[in-house]
Amino acid sequence: MKKLTYFPGCSAHGTSEEFDSTLKLVLKTLDVELEDIPDWNCCGATSAHVMTENLAYALPMRNLVLAEKLENTTMGIACASCYQRMKVTKVHMDENPELAQRINTTVVEEGTYKGTVDVKSMLQYFYEDIGVETIRGKVTKSLAGLKVACYYGCLLTRPKNITKFDSPEYPVSMDQICEALGATATEFDYKTECCGASFSISNTEVVLNLSGQILAMAKESGAHAIVVACPLCQSNLDMRQPDIEKQQGVKYDIPVFYITQLMALAFGNPVDQLKFPKHIVPVEGALANIGKIDPVPQKVKKPIKAVEAESEVE
Amino acid sequence: MITLGTQGKNTFLADVNKKSGANVLECYQCGKCVGTCPVSQYMDFPPREIMQMIKLGLRNESYMANSHWFCLTCSACSGRCPREIDIPAVMEAVRHLAIEENYINDSTKVKEIRKFHEIFLAMIKRYGRNYELRMMAEFNIRTRNLFKDMHLAPKALLKGKIPLGVKPLKSAKAIKRMYELAEKLEKNK
Repeated sequence: MKKLTYFPGCSAHGTSEEFDSTLKLVLKTLDVELEDIPDWNCCGATSAHVMTENLAYALPMRNLVLAEKLENTTMGIACASCYQRMKVTKVHMDENPELAQRINTTVVEEGTYKGTVDVKSMLQYFYEDIGVETIRGKVTKSLAGLKVACYYGCLLTRPKNITKFDSPEYPVSMDQICEALGATATEFDYKTECCGASFSISNTEVVLNLSGQILAMAKESGAHAIVVACPLCQSNLDMRQPDIEKQQGVKYDIPVFYITQLMALAFGNPVDQLKFPKHIVPVEGALANIGKIDPVPQKVKKPIKAVEAESEVE
Repeated sequence: MITLGTQGKNTFLADVNKKSGANVLECYQCGKCVGTCPVSQYMDFPPREIMQMIKLGLRNESYMANSHWFCLTCSACSGRCPREIDIPAVMEAVRHLAIEENYINDSTKVKEIRKFHEIFLAMIKRYGRNYELRMMAEFNIRTRNLFKDMHLAPKALLKGKIPLGVKPLKSAKAIKRMYELAEKLEKNK
């Protein structure tokens, strides 16, 4: 059994709870044991680095220092924003010991930063540490028939000198994993375009515009669904989709899955564990393409029906 | 009249280079960053122009532009920059300098963006983690736009998309202390 230090990030307890819980199902199949960083704190994304330099390093550093006390030397991070802040901090601290020492004076109780823990996004962990072939070997229910547009967003592969993973322009790791699950990855040009990220609340207009373009391109690529590995991308593309449809006068109706939801499905986990009722855009239409599947359980029947009616565009 | 820096020396360029670790002088104005930037259409001056303004020592104009507030740090520009300049770091340096030197762009959009970040950071100082629902509520109250995104609330709450509470850190005090020390460090540079 492999072990992995785990940083869930704040959204794992909120908007991306389904990412966190399906990730745990997937890692159970892959025989990986997660060890949470005890009493981890918010990484500060995106606000800390926007407003101030020291805090933007200090918040991730506390988590890195706490992680160094655990046995494992690799930290897996679910949220793409957390991953980037943690990785940026690690790279800058390792390059510049003087800066590390200075920032370390703000992390008082936890101890000294040593730089002994490697930081990886969960996508990177799947691709590099588990491997596509191992993932293929665990598939019991092929997703053949499902066409997906793999959307990476800005943070998983950029900036390339920080992430050192896949391509900053046209990454393929998630595509390969989806193909291993039996799905078809479409030729999708907007893989690494920005969804508007943290402007979701403060500058919604920008998000509707940018995420709208991504939805349009995904639809044009012939995809039934979009696959992501970032909580902010998921909520911008899924939760804001009815608003985008209203604004553009187009009906996209394209569900946005976390990669772990599709992996858990292909690994034969029961559908009622995959948290599909949490999606704003219904997933049934897209999943119908993989043939016979148990009906998606509708736990909260009434509200979901109301939502569907509300989001319809004349 | 445009004054090129002070006493013939471009102190602004030096400040930005030092803070960002980039060399803005390497920019040869090809404009690839502008074509790449997902938000350049919202900026007073797109990235290429900001780079040139820094080269010319236009401190006030750069500080007061909304460009560095709209930058999403998506790093698409720096990935395509033929000179491999870390443009997001340059944008960040201009923003940090503007905050430090108290230049306030008072357009509604920038005010809202800034308010969001302030609320977020105050939330982390208090709880050690993000409390999404409270953050959204506070943003609406403080920007006097009570009904913003309210149409999303019923479905988001019913589906458990946004939880009603947050579990604060056991060592929330350590985070408060970190904030104070980081602030001190910022002043003593």
